[in-house]
Parts: sequence; C-alpha cells; structure tokens
Amino acid sequence: MVSETILSAKEKKPLLEWTPIYSMWLREIIRFFNMKSRVISSIIQPFLFLGLMAIPFSNLIPPEAQGMMSQMFGGLSFFGFLAPGIVGIGLLTTGIMGGVTVIWDKEFGFLKEVMVAPVRRISLMIGRSLGGMTIAVFQALLTIGVAALFGIWYDFQIQGIAGVGLALVFIILTFATFIGAGITLGGMFEETEGFMSIVMLLQMPMLFLSGAFVPIDRLSGVPVLYQLQFINPLTYGIDGIRAALTGAPPFLPLWVDFTVILAFALVFLILGARAFNRMQLS
Amino acid sequence: MKAISVHDLTKVFGSTVAVDHISFDTEEGEIFGLIGLNGAGKTTTILMLTTLLNPTSGTATVCGYDILKEKDSIRRSIGVVFEEQAVDIYLTGRQNLDFSVRMYNVPAKERRERITNALEAIGLADFADVKVKDYSGGMLRRLEIARAMLTNPKVLFLDEPTIGVDVQTRRYLWDYLRRVNKELGMTIFISTSYLEEADYLCNRVALIDEGKLIATGTPEELKASIGKNLVSIKVATGINADFVKLLQGLDYVEKIEERDGSLELSLKNGSIGIPDIVRLARRNGFTISSISSHNPSLNDVLLHYTGKKAEG
Repeated sequence: MVSETILSAKEKKPLLEWTPIYSMWLREIIRFFNMKSRVISSIIQPFLFLGLMAIPFSNLIPPEAQGMMSQMFGGLSFFGFLAPGIVGIGLLTTGIMGGVTVIWDKEFGFLKEVMVAPVRRISLMIGRSLGGMTIAVFQALLTIGVAALFGIWYDFQIQGIAGVGLALVFIILTFATFIGAGITLGGMFEETEGFMSIVMLLQMPMLFLSGAFVPIDRLSGVPVLYQLQFINPLTYGIDGIRAALTGAPPFLPLWVDFTVILAFALVFLILGARAFNRMQLS
Repeated sequence: MKAISVHDLTKVFGSTVAVDHISFDTEEGEIFGLIGLNGAGKTTTILMLTTLLNPTSGTATVCGYDILKEKDSIRRSIGVVFEEQAVDIYLTGRQNLDFSVRMYNVPAKERRERITNALEAIGLADFADVKVKDYSGGMLRRLEIARAMLTNPKVLFLDEPTIGVDVQTRRYLWDYLRRVNKELGMTIFISTSYLEEADYLCNRVALIDEGKLIATGTPEELKASIGKNLVSIKVATGINADFVKLLQGLDYVEKIEERDGSLELSLKNGSIGIPDIVRLARRNGFTISSISSHNPSLNDVLLHYTGKKAEG
C-alpha cells in the first residue's frame, strides 16, 4: 500500500488548501443554522446550566459563611467559581460530540463524496474542526455573557477585555483537545451507539474531576481521585479560563496550564488527523 | 488512450476474494457496463477505480493515470455517483452542490453558473433551495448525478444508478446519460445488476460473477454467443432421457440444459425449430405441455454463464 502523504508530495498541493478548508467550515456552520433545534438548544443551554445549577448551588452557602467559603474558591463567590467551569464543560461535550458527526458522515456516505475530491484529508479535518470551534466559541462567549448578567446579583465579575482575550485562548485550546479526541474516537466506531456509550463513560469522570464543581485542592488526601484530576485535560483548561476571566489565583501557574493544554491539543489533533487519514471504506 | 484500463485487478478482504484478477478496457466516449448480481464485486471494482480503495494486487489506469500513484489526477478527472446516498440531507440541493464544487477550486462566478446549469439539465431547478431531506428517492439520485457532473468529468462512474428509483425517473436518467454521453462525449462507466438497463444503455458490457470476469463484449455479442434463439420446453411426463437424446440429434440445437423441470435449448435458427420439435415429439410419443421461444436477453446471458438468475 502506498501512503497518501508520499503521493501528495509528488503531485504538489499547497500546504494549506484554503478553499476546501473554508467549505468544510462553511458546511458545519450552515448545518448548524439549518437545524433550528441545535441553534435554540445552544442558546438556552447556558441559561439552564447557570440558572438551574450555578444559582441553586451557590445558595447552598449561608450568607454568614460567604467570607470563609470564598477563601476556598480563591476569593470568588461559589457562582463565580462555577461559571467558568460551566464554560469548560460546554467545550468538553460539544468537542467530543463533534466526533459523532464523523460517524454520521460514514453512515450517510457523505464521507465518500468528500474523499473522492482531490483534497487532502487533513484539510477536511481542519475545516470541520474549525467549524465546530466557531460554534463552540460562540456558545462559550454566550455563557460568559449570561454569567456576567446573573453575576450582577451573584457576584461574578469579568476582569476586562484582556481577561476575556486570554480566556479565549484557553477556550480554543480546550476545544481543540476535545474535538481531536472526538474525531479520534469517531474514527474507531462504525455506528453511533458504540461511540455514545464510550463517550458517556469518559465524560462523567472528566466532568467531575476537572475542578469545575469542586476546587482541585479539596480532593488532596483523597487517593486516586486527586491524582486523576491531573491527567484530565479539562482541569488545565478550566483552571486557565477561570483565572483569566476572574483574576482569581489559578491552582497551577498559568504558563503551566497553557503549556499542558497546548500539548494536549496538539496530541489529540494529530491523533484525530491520523484517524481521519486512516479511515477506510468498508 | 483508453479511458479505463484494468489489468489483473484483485481485492481480497480477509479470506474473501471480492475481485479476482479482472482485466478489461473501456474506450473513450463509450458507455461501459459492469454487470452482475449483487455481491459480484462491482462496487469494490468501482471503489478501486475511483481511488477510494487500494487494490490487493494488479493495476489500473483511469484517463491514463495510475489508481495508486496518481490518485489526485484521477480525482480531478472523474465524477462519481455512489450506490448509497452520499449527500448531506440537512443542506439544500444547491448548498450540497456548492459545497462539492468548492472542493475543486472553481472560481465563484463559474461555480454559480455550473450549479445552475447542472440543476437545470437534470430537472431540479425548482427544488434547488429545498432541504435534501424533503427530496424523493428519484430527486436524490438526480441531485447526486448533478453533483458528479459539476466538475466536468472526463469519466463518469455510476454505481447502480437506478436502484430503488421509480420507472419514470429511471427512463429520465437513462435518456439524460445517453444525451450527456452523446453531446459531451463523456465516457460513462456504470455498474448494474439490472440487466435491461445495461442492454438499453451500454455500448459494451463486462459480466462479473464472484469477483471473476466471465465475458466482455457488446450486449449483442454476448447475446449471440449463447445462440440465436432460446426455446424452453415442458414435457407432460417429465424430462425423459430418450427425448433429450432425440433433441441432441437435431443439427440446429447448440446446447440443451435442464432447469426447474424444463428443457432450455439454444438454437441456431429459431424459425424452423419449434414446429420441427413439436412434430418430432409427437412422432415419438412425447407430449409437450408447453413450448415457448424468445430472443436471448442479458438475463439469459447471465443464466447461461453463471447458472444464476437475475433478481427482480
């Protein structure tokens, strides 16, 4: 078998094929807006998470204990602590679920159509990931906006535009990690059912052991669970997003968060690209 | 230059040989049919020729390009209509086409023109902005053909293009393909298990069975190869060896086969066959309960060479 890369080098193609990347991106966006239910749910979701989870949770804490508790949350209110975590959770779920579209495309034969075009598969994957990312970033910004609105009453303040900018870097890297993971997983399954059951299995621990709900150091002394937090990419993503948005001290130095999540993103994007490249037709 | 040239092409999946050392050529500008039953290896062959599947051994060229070494040159020269639906149902017809043609770096203005023309040519202009999930089966097929045509391919591949399509659409598609072939001189490579389709459309066909190429030629040549006329006889008392021997003595009988309790004869000259056989039977005390003759079709060719009957 002759490998694709050798051939493409010989047949001379640009390093980045802009038009195909753009059209894969455009397709994801059009698909998103063509499915009204997806648009509506992505708008309502931040309200649900913040309204039904963050607000009730933050009411667990009696007013007289606020001061003591806020020390635990790095000077934040519980609501202010939870909101960046919810942004991170959104990135995890939409990213990994991006892999399911790969399976749909296999099932519906759409993959054949794009694979028969004279385009590198890596371009297809980049375009699709960027499409998912655009939607995810839009959703994350919406969540931050809604959180800031509720934050008027529940004490959540954004540390200026620079903070949002830095948070955006972490948001993009976190999403890149999970879309890469999703595509890698999607490449391994032929049908949605198998993929979904594995995703459920992986998502739960990643969600709860990420510092989204409980500060990372609260688990120190709990064996296994404490350590597991550090192999979870989401931990670094959320730590970074939270510090950038609120100005609260991060659990790890920000440059560590950044380096680790960047490494995770690169590894999973490469794995995803490989999975995409290897995909054979049955 | 041949449009398609295949040499000893083979594909093995695990322990099954899906395509077994097949060789054939397709001339430029012809409609070539790969015919055979489901599972004969037609789709696998098309996937290899369209660079989506690498062969286990053997070689092939499409438009002079090697299917292994010059995948992109081939991809730029062909259009493909797959057997299963290969469109995005959440996009409209026009969006689907637009998406496809963007992959080929066509400038925006020309892109719009080509899409409009392709939709018009195949009669979908009125449904261009409807989401594909609301399309009928026939419309879906037409959209897929329009998409394959967008890149002005030199060779158009179609895998079972009219399967699950109503009679009207089928006729429409046949006429469309003939027109395209004639007006644009486009080479068309079609796979089908619907042999009337091959007979109607194809200049030449290759019969494939269990991965092996059985026969190649024009539909007329293949039909002629199994006799000018086919006669099927049912004897009231069942098949009798003496009667078979009697028939074998006739010089215009080329071949006798027993099938489902009746005798199938290939005759050189049909016109005198039936009266002669009836007379002969009566004289020797055999009662023929039914006798019929017909000109061979590609279904008979399939039956003759493989012993299998075409479905449907």
